[in-house]
Amino acid sequence: MSEATTKEFSVIGKSVPKIDARDKVTGRAKYTGDLKVTGMLVGKILRSPHAHARILSIDTSKAEQLPGVEAVITAKDVPSTFYGMSPARYDETILAIEKVLQVGDKVAAVAAVDEETAVKALSLIDVEYEVLPAVLDPLRAMDEDQPQIHPQYKRNISVEIHQDFGDVEMAFQQSHLVRTDRFQGNRATHVPMEPHAAISKWENGKLTIWSSTQSPHYFQYHIARVFGLKMGDVRVIKPTVGGGFGGKLEPSAAEYVSAALAMKTGRPVKIVFDRKEVFFHNRGRHAQYIELTTGVTKEGKILGVHGKYIIDGGSYTGLGIASAYYAGAMLPLIYEFDHFKFDCFRVHTNLPSCAAQRGHGAPQPRFAFESQLDMIAKELGMDPIEIRKVNARRPNTMTLNDLKVNSCEFMACLEKAREISDWGGKKGKLPPGQGIGIGCGGFITGAGYPIYRTRLPHAAAIVKVSEQGDIATLYIGAVDIGQGSDTILAQMAAEAIGINYEDMRIVSADTETTPHDFGAYASRQTLMSGHAVKQAGEEVRRQIIELAAELLEASVADLDIDRRVIFVKGSPEKMLSFETVANEFFIRKGPLMGRGSYTPPKLGGKFKGAAVGTSPAYSFAAQISQVEVDEETGQVMVTNVWDVHDCGTVINPNLLHAQVEGALFMGMGEAMYEQVVFDDKGRPLNANLGEYRVPTALDVPQVISELVDSYEPAGPWGVKEVGEGATLPTMGSYANAIYDAIGVRLYDLPLTPEKVWRAIHERKKPS
Amino acid sequence: MGTAIKKGKLHVVTLTVNGEEHAVLVKANTTLLDLLREEFDYTGTKKGCELGDCGACTVLMDDRPVNSCLVLAVEADGHSFTTIEGVEQGGKLDRLQEEFINQAAVQCGYCSPGMILSGKALLMRNPHPTEREVREAIGGNLCRCTGYVRIVKAILAAAEANS
Amino acid sequence: MIIPEFEYVTPQSVQEACALLVQYGDSARVLAGGSDLLVKMKDGLMKPAYLVSLKNLDSLKAIRYETGTGVIIGARATHNEVMNNRLLREKYRSVCEAAHSMAADQIRNIGTVGGNLVNAVPSADLPPILIALDARARIVGTSGERTISLEDFFLGPGKTVLEKGEILAEIIIPDQPTTGSNYIKFGLRRAGALAVAGVASSVTVSDGTCRDVRVVLGAVAPTPMRARQAENVLRGKKISRELIDEAGRIAAAESKPINDIRGSIEYRRNLVNVLTRRSLKAAIEKGHI
Repeated sequence: MSEATTKEFSVIGKSVPKIDARDKVTGRAKYTGDLKVTGMLVGKILRSPHAHARILSIDTSKAEQLPGVEAVITAKDVPSTFYGMSPARYDETILAIEKVLQVGDKVAAVAAVDEETAVKALSLIDVEYEVLPAVLDPLRAMDEDQPQIHPQYKRNISVEIHQDFGDVEMAFQQSHLVRTDRFQGNRATHVPMEPHAAISKWENGKLTIWSSTQSPHYFQYHIARVFGLKMGDVRVIKPTVGGGFGGKLEPSAAEYVSAALAMKTGRPVKIVFDRKEVFFHNRGRHAQYIELTTGVTKEGKILGVHGKYIIDGGSYTGLGIASAYYAGAMLPLIYEFDHFKFDCFRVHTNLPSCAAQRGHGAPQPRFAFESQLDMIAKELGMDPIEIRKVNARRPNTMTLNDLKVNSCEFMACLEKAREISDWGGKKGKLPPGQGIGIGCGGFITGAGYPIYRTRLPHAAAIVKVSEQGDIATLYIGAVDIGQGSDTILAQMAAEAIGINYEDMRIVSADTETTPHDFGAYASRQTLMSGHAVKQAGEEVRRQIIELAAELLEASVADLDIDRRVIFVKGSPEKMLSFETVANEFFIRKGPLMGRGSYTPPKLGGKFKGAAVGTSPAYSFAAQISQVEVDEETGQVMVTNVWDVHDCGTVINPNLLHAQVEGALFMGMGEAMYEQVVFDDKGRPLNANLGEYRVPTALDVPQVISELVDSYEPAGPWGVKEVGEGATLPTMGSYANAIYDAIGVRLYDLPLTPEKVWRAIHERKKPS
Repeated sequence: MGTAIKKGKLHVVTLTVNGEEHAVLVKANTTLLDLLREEFDYTGTKKGCELGDCGACTVLMDDRPVNSCLVLAVEADGHSFTTIEGVEQGGKLDRLQEEFINQAAVQCGYCSPGMILSGKALLMRNPHPTEREVREAIGGNLCRCTGYVRIVKAILAAAEANS
Repeated sequence: MIIPEFEYVTPQSVQEACALLVQYGDSARVLAGGSDLLVKMKDGLMKPAYLVSLKNLDSLKAIRYETGTGVIIGARATHNEVMNNRLLREKYRSVCEAAHSMAADQIRNIGTVGGNLVNAVPSADLPPILIALDARARIVGTSGERTISLEDFFLGPGKTVLEKGEILAEIIIPDQPTTGSNYIKFGLRRAGALAVAGVASSVTVSDGTCRDVRVVLGAVAPTPMRARQAENVLRGKKISRELIDEAGRIAAAESKPINDIRGSIEYRRNLVNVLTRRSLKAAIEKGHI
């Protein structure tokens, strides 16, 4: 029985309105591009028109002479320190030094009094390029005859992974059925509605950067490193952020170049990417080419899996090194098996860089696995839900790659999904052209290890109660990028302290004033930042209770706090208000504060790459979708989706379901609509929101989001993640539903009408 | 425009924004979006794509939703505009804004001003829309966070409050 | 993003507008709604030195009926004004539906009919249905005016018959015996999507016989095109399922699609086949919808 159901909470578990909602619906919320700093200049970046070229010369003289231009910089004017996200792969510079590696690579930059002048100045910069042959096909990137993109990565191999657990060959020999299938994922991208933006100010040897960032800490760390500053001299402040999804986890040219220009001019410089530049910066989904071999027993029990991947990393590595590991690490999570081989090549191409996008490397392998599992079920004559139940992970188990799973209600998710979708009444019983399919997934709740090697705790929090005792301020480094972390952490603080949500104030994500937190990625904050917040709140509670015990002449053990009242359990008339006690505390002892921090336990095995995939907890989900296919055009209408999640205790039900709905929507976009495409010179053909098609309100299905009862011992109050898990099942669910509807299997994302039509066409041909 | 010096030919534009009449001098190549954000500090209207594809810059022009990134300030002359800042009246939120809050229809919030204005225009011309009509009305407003689920709920809830 | 600088002029009459266009020649563009022009200017595809704004030309806005002529749609009418116009909804709702299928609400409040036609994008949604209804284009210039069949208006992608100094003033849908018309668009999402293929048809049916028919294809040729061979299959014949199917097949064979990021030649031909069938069926059975 979960703790959540045995105790009624006062603040958590309630769908309180978001702490920033009012500002956002009135237009008061300020995003980085809305901010104005006195003396501010506008920065603009000159970008390469070529996918791969040597820079022979750059003449900036005409640009410099344009009235209103304050600075023009090229690589010689900025640090040449290589950066990235992992020390093993620092391969990018602020501005391209010798070569440009993609269309849109950063060549030069200007700071001017307004945007129009800056754009004019860019057109006056003369760059002489020696165009080089480009690597545009990831499947050929490693061939001997291909141009070398980075000197240090032979055969354009960015990351090469070979992991081997158990004995897959033996497993396959023992299998009743072994299938090998090939799948092709699509290059997709985050499309946050707010483009990347930064304002840099350089004053008295100190750099202040307002940035649309998912992690002020990582930004501070890397920017300090690149500019040779101490971290304390780099202050990163996060204003309201309009979505990140993984694309704002790495500092971009918006930060690096605005900082360089601010240093050169001595004036603040604002850089806001236009939409095309967001596509150039990218850091989105790798297209993964997956060959998956799975062996099962006659009963459908998975014995072994071998995954061979080539994934398209684009020009620079950034966070992409982790994506390659995640692509394999998450595969053995939701089904139990003992033999697994993972061979992965992340290759470089002269296309925009790929890195972390919601689900981080795991959605496309999930698509492959879920599709193949259905094919195996069909061959065995098993129902798709039944075969998943045979293999479903159970709680308190260890995966073959040493991931420790505590709570796991995956089985309950499968059963509930079956029920609420009326699977039994629909599977095999729908009219022709209609189908129902299931996809499943599971994801980490925060990464067990940070992105760079450090012993810092992962999250920290400070609570300061006001001197009057009427409000409390929560200081956290945790980053609200729209998912609502400010809100739920304020709820958690209020719950831990014993006051109301309305009494909370929050200061977050400013490296100079808020305590350390790694930021919003890998769905870590509810659990990790939550732990720190709970600890800080409980420290306040303890100090209040101690003083109240004195004032009430009771013993500490007999006291409790709820909704601003400290009372003696069993004698509620013996009570004091929180205000009274807090105020008295300040008078006697000074500031009433609580501190908390969180470091996950040491997790994971000893093999290379073992750190990736480790997490204090894992979410699980089953998603069923129902589709109607117009067989003449191939158009697929997804009519309903039922998602059942195991995400532990729920802090704010509305925000939780909102995250499921959003993640599912992103999964849907990648499953059916989205793909970045290029011409034969590596130029993007759809770097805009008209031709890169994010679904509209008219395209989305009816969504039913439900939960199962679950409690995670590693999480504060039993919480787990939800922000990324719902992206994973979607692609497989749709592919399986389409197969159910029309009897053809699609292996290649996105599942466009034309592809569906072709598959139907093929099916109809006499063999 | 900050410290920029407006060089080149300037045109007088008279327009009403959120009930207030303004006369400004603009260059011909200034968009309404930039005029609102830079000259009037109405930063609630957002830049999402600047090419009319995303709807983040939606404002009401004579009560009809338009992409302000594709309206020249000089063409706005003589017209009346409502931005998100003009939706609340006298410090009191519009019912639609309240429902956006109540229904948790706001995540990152970047699409919210445009969504609210599209929703408001719909309810002004059609106080009892069907779900389909709501989706049509916001078909030109892209959202990446919500899957539109709670946004549709919020607009329908505000409509119900009308009855 | 920046719009390149330009000289902005606001003529007070259609004649003055034409005169300015003659004076400035190739360095001038007409500014109607701007939803297409400004995008091209921001993308660096166009850098006109002069924009001749039509904003004072109220005579070009109206949608009205003129006895003896037909329905007249002013070039400055926006897509939403067409979509919501009572007269059009009564007489030719198919035109309203076609206008509705374009882009999204915000663009439809700015983008004009005239602008859409003059831009001559092969996938535009209004030309096919208008041509199916035998629409005429009234063109005004400095030396007078001319009215031509809309079918003859388009020369190629981005190219029309407009000469220097000419403005498209009105579209006329003549009074006609047609009993039904319909436009079906296939796009890759349900709003904000260009047609991968679009088919409009109009029919004149009596006693189960198709007296006359037009089938007009969009997005599958350099300009909107009549599928004349498909029409010949039906014209003068008793309507049957088989004939409609054949018309679809022939329209597909007649079409001239290209491969691009939205679809392949083969797929587009398939769409023409399917949409032609569906459009004809709707026009025959449901009137002007």
